[in-house]
Amino acid sequence: MTEEDEAAFDEFLAARSTALLRTAILVCGASASDAEDMVQNALEKVYRHWPRIRHDNPEAYARRVVVNGAISKARRRKVLQEITFAQPPETPVESPDLGLRDVLVTELRKLPARMRAVLVLRYWEDLSEAETAALLGCSVGTVKSQAARGLARVRARMENLEGASA
Amino acid sequence: MNVEEALREAMAAQVAGVHAPPSLGQAVRRRNRRHVVRFRTAGAAVLTAAVAVGVPVALTARPDTVPAVGSLAGTGATGSGAPAASASAPGSGDTVAVPGGVVPDVVGKSAAEVNALLKEAGYTVRVTKVVTDEAPAGTVFAQMPQPGTAAPAGAAVTITIATTAAPAPTTSAGPEDPRMPQDLGDLGDGRTLGGVHVGYLPEGLEWGKWSGKDGFGKRSYTTSWVEPGLEPGMYSVQMIVYRKDAASVLAKRMQGYAGQGAKPIEAGGRKAYLVSLSEGGDQINDGGTRTIVWTLAPGVGVEVMISPDYAAKLGEAATDKELEKIAAGVALNK
Repeated sequence: MTEEDEAAFDEFLAARSTALLRTAILVCGASASDAEDMVQNALEKVYRHWPRIRHDNPEAYARRVVVNGAISKARRRKVLQEITFAQPPETPVESPDLGLRDVLVTELRKLPARMRAVLVLRYWEDLSEAETAALLGCSVGTVKSQAARGLARVRARMENLEGASA
Repeated sequence: MNVEEALREAMAAQVAGVHAPPSLGQAVRRRNRRHVVRFRTAGAAVLTAAVAVGVPVALTARPDTVPAVGSLAGTGATGSGAPAASASAPGSGDTVAVPGGVVPDVVGKSAAEVNALLKEAGYTVRVTKVVTDEAPAGTVFAQMPQPGTAAPAGAAVTITIATTAAPAPTTSAGPEDPRMPQDLGDLGDGRTLGGVHVGYLPEGLEWGKWSGKDGFGKRSYTTSWVEPGLEPGMYSVQMIVYRKDAASVLAKRMQGYAGQGAKPIEAGGRKAYLVSLSEGGDQINDGGTRTIVWTLAPGVGVEVMISPDYAAKLGEAATDKELEKIAAGVALNK
């Protein structure tokens, strides 16, 4: 690793590490410290292969490590209050003072890890279905169905909320 | 507002305040050194093996096979060394060989202007948005690759556009306040719920002071026990009791575990599955949450899990032993 490589890596960190950490937080649905650990792990892999991959979209590589790490590590660290595939509760909203965003983020966290990753990659990273599929190593069809199910879940929650405030 | 937009905004707002710490570079390099040490040890083993196999060959081989062994040692000693930088590395060859343009500096310009500019230069423009006060809304807040980086025509340039947050809901309840449900009220020591009694729990745990009903299907009941001082929303041991409809759903899941190759064990005289589960609870997953599931009586199923944090503290063997002991101690509450 030359000094120039080192400097370029620092530049890469300065430019991209915040974005990576944000994605990690959204994908993990876990605490910020878990996400940071995952990002460090991914960046270490990037650093290890830096001279080879620095001109070959290192960010995409790092993102792939983060997202797949988050999925395989998906663990129930927090108390499970309802089964993640269950229908949203029929009661309108438990706490009307919760803002729409909080509700959506909470809903996002309840989704299974892979479904959550699909939504984050599609709607936060703005990746296409094909790009998302390539990153997750699954078919485009899987991306479509996971996104549809995830969105349906979130939509149902949103309509509940709107119904309650109307 | 459609759901995609709402979700996009919620996600942006959720992480707007997050910034990577400046110490990240140091932390990454520190990790890398740890990795290199391990790699070096592994390299030495490979070298030994290569020499062991190589000696008889080397006696008859051409002299140019010897440096090959030498370069293996070099790679082992330097970790990510010069060999990786050569153009022979798969994947990097094309980008290096194609003389591309240079990515212009677009930070601070308006998004529309930048879009046209980059497209004209032959780049594919990818847009992400971030809610921030650090740049005027509608301007480019960050770009990737950095200005001045050589990139071939057709390469993707990601621009991050600053957006303003919509009026923020004035709730102070952060995601760390999970508002634990109290569906079953005060359970005393928390050991009796859903018609079952928990006779044994690992020492030092107390009731988590919450309970949920029907979250896991009609007639399901759940609560947890924690080590004192654990932050709200976390658990050490959680139990879910499934009855009637919920129990039949659990029974199907147990069949699923058997289908995935899990072997039943015996706990308290009953057949149980002791497995590591994914977040959704239907997949067996290495490194998942350690969970024991069994049918206590016709129409009554029980699931007990130990949180990954508590499991790490107990150790693998003790975690499994505790789960088996808890399972053996659960009985119908007569």
